[in-house]
Amino acid sequence: MDDLLESLWSVERPVSELRPGDHAWLCYETPEEQSLVTVPFVDEGLALGHRVICLAERVGGPVPGLGWPPAGGPAPRVVALADLPGPVGPAVALEALAKEIMLAEEQGCPVVRVTADMTWALRAPGGLEELLACERQLEGEVGPSTTVMAVCQFDRRRCGAEELPRLFATHSVRVVPDPVFDDPVLRIAWTFRPRGLALAGELDASRHTRLDEALCRVMEAGHGDVHLNMSGLRFIDLGALNLLAERAAERPAAVSSLVLDRIPAQLFSVVERVGWHMLPGLRLGHPA
Amino acid sequence: MALRRHGLEHRAFLYSGVENFLSTTVPFLIKGLEADDAVVAVVRRPNLDALRDVLGSDGDVGFYDSAEFYDHPVRTLKRYLELVDSMRPRRVVALAEPVWHWTDQRQTLEWARYESLINEVFADSGARALCPYDRNGLSSAVLDFARHTHPVLFDGRIDHENDRYMDPQVFGAGCDVGRRFEVRPDTAEYMAFHDEDLHPLRVFVGKHAEAHGLDRQQAQNLVTAANEVAANALQHGVPPMGVWVWRDGDELVCEVGDNGFWQPSPLIGFIPPESARERGFGLWTVRLLVDLMELRAGWDGTFVRLHVSR
Repeated sequence: MDDLLESLWSVERPVSELRPGDHAWLCYETPEEQSLVTVPFVDEGLALGHRVICLAERVGGPVPGLGWPPAGGPAPRVVALADLPGPVGPAVALEALAKEIMLAEEQGCPVVRVTADMTWALRAPGGLEELLACERQLEGEVGPSTTVMAVCQFDRRRCGAEELPRLFATHSVRVVPDPVFDDPVLRIAWTFRPRGLALAGELDASRHTRLDEALCRVMEAGHGDVHLNMSGLRFIDLGALNLLAERAAERPAAVSSLVLDRIPAQLFSVVERVGWHMLPGLRLGHPA
Repeated sequence: MALRRHGLEHRAFLYSGVENFLSTTVPFLIKGLEADDAVVAVVRRPNLDALRDVLGSDGDVGFYDSAEFYDHPVRTLKRYLELVDSMRPRRVVALAEPVWHWTDQRQTLEWARYESLINEVFADSGARALCPYDRNGLSSAVLDFARHTHPVLFDGRIDHENDRYMDPQVFGAGCDVGRRFEVRPDTAEYMAFHDEDLHPLRVFVGKHAEAHGLDRQQAQNLVTAANEVAANALQHGVPPMGVWVWRDGDELVCEVGDNGFWQPSPLIGFIPPESARERGFGLWTVRLLVDLMELRAGWDGTFVRLHVSR
């Protein structure tokens, strides 16, 4: 299932806009994509005094999407798979999480945040069917809740192509990382398939620095082409084209290009008039 | 060759009638073909048809109608540059006859400037260009421009070093001084701008472009150009800064002004940059995006006027 289909069939919410009652789906491509959701989800919860519950392999070990627990300061409560009576399948894990949730509610926590990377559960015999049953149950219980929000994570690279759509269908919300930058004029969001940024609104000198910061982050984060989805862009100034050419020139074109995807017709025509040879290191990708 | 300068041969040939035209241009083109150069003939009708009759349309000469090729000085210069680049390492031999039918004196001046710029832009290209000028059909002013912008005059038999030739910098400066910068009409609408957020300026210019009947692409081009000039004013100019828009017949004129005094090189924005990373990319693109860009720097400030016809 591709991003487009997912976006058609679900509510998409940036992580900071998740609210109680959201049973959210995060199907990540890279550890970076995963942590751009899980880290703010957990950190914001801890900062607001919410109860944060994470499923992990063992207490004191790394938490999926978060890494090793920090020394000192507030930390999420960990439900450890290693401590559960075996053989551990999704139903056992869900039961343990449900107990923690109930405990938090009994203790009067106003909001309970739950995160769990469930990719492991698919690899056991009959794992998918058992997991689907659990997800349906969770959807039924979280949906009407005024206290609980949950982020279910799946590693796209380790899931079967037939498994993903069925699992996805049991979630009402698709969670995405918060935009890199967002104001009434310009929005810069992460994209992961392909890797890059989506630009929407108007881009002029007042926001060059924002674009540059985002571009540097995404270019430093990995190798290969970086794609800019420009479908939502209504204006781009010449200074921004200059900036893109500058950044593209810092990497050898043989290694990677800055690929401009889905440029709206009128902006495309401006670029054509200038000529692509003026923009070395930049390449036209997917048409509008 | 003694008269060849800077690796560019740029000669004017003042001809009288088609016979005289063919007697020089045909040998010029054939010599290029024999040397395995990339040979193009960009000429006016009926000279174009006469040349085709002699040389044949299906040969190795690339024929172009001047009326289409010479549509906009900055774009035409870019087109020639792309041609020279695409033919490397072959040398380009061009028979290049601009059109001079403009009713507006400003346009004639911009095309004269274009002829002068050829000397600068293609200085190291190794290209050979012969520019025919119709001695009977063109005004004395245009023929004078030919003498100021070509280092060599060819009389049909031999080359003459041209002592009336002017350096492109000097000629360009003269074009700017000689230009009449008409007073803004009372109907011009004005909007001040103060900071880098130029969204209101784009809305203002875009609204007028639409009301004037420019198509969406022209409007986008004008908005992009005006935004660039305004961004330059913010970066280098002195407040107060503002934009005026008014109609002049079919033209929409948009002028960005600030209170600073900017004295750029007369060639600024005319010489195509190597890439968007070079200084001058912005102003060159502005010239490319609109029909005409004029710059005036005086005691009262610096003003950049953009013209677009519907």
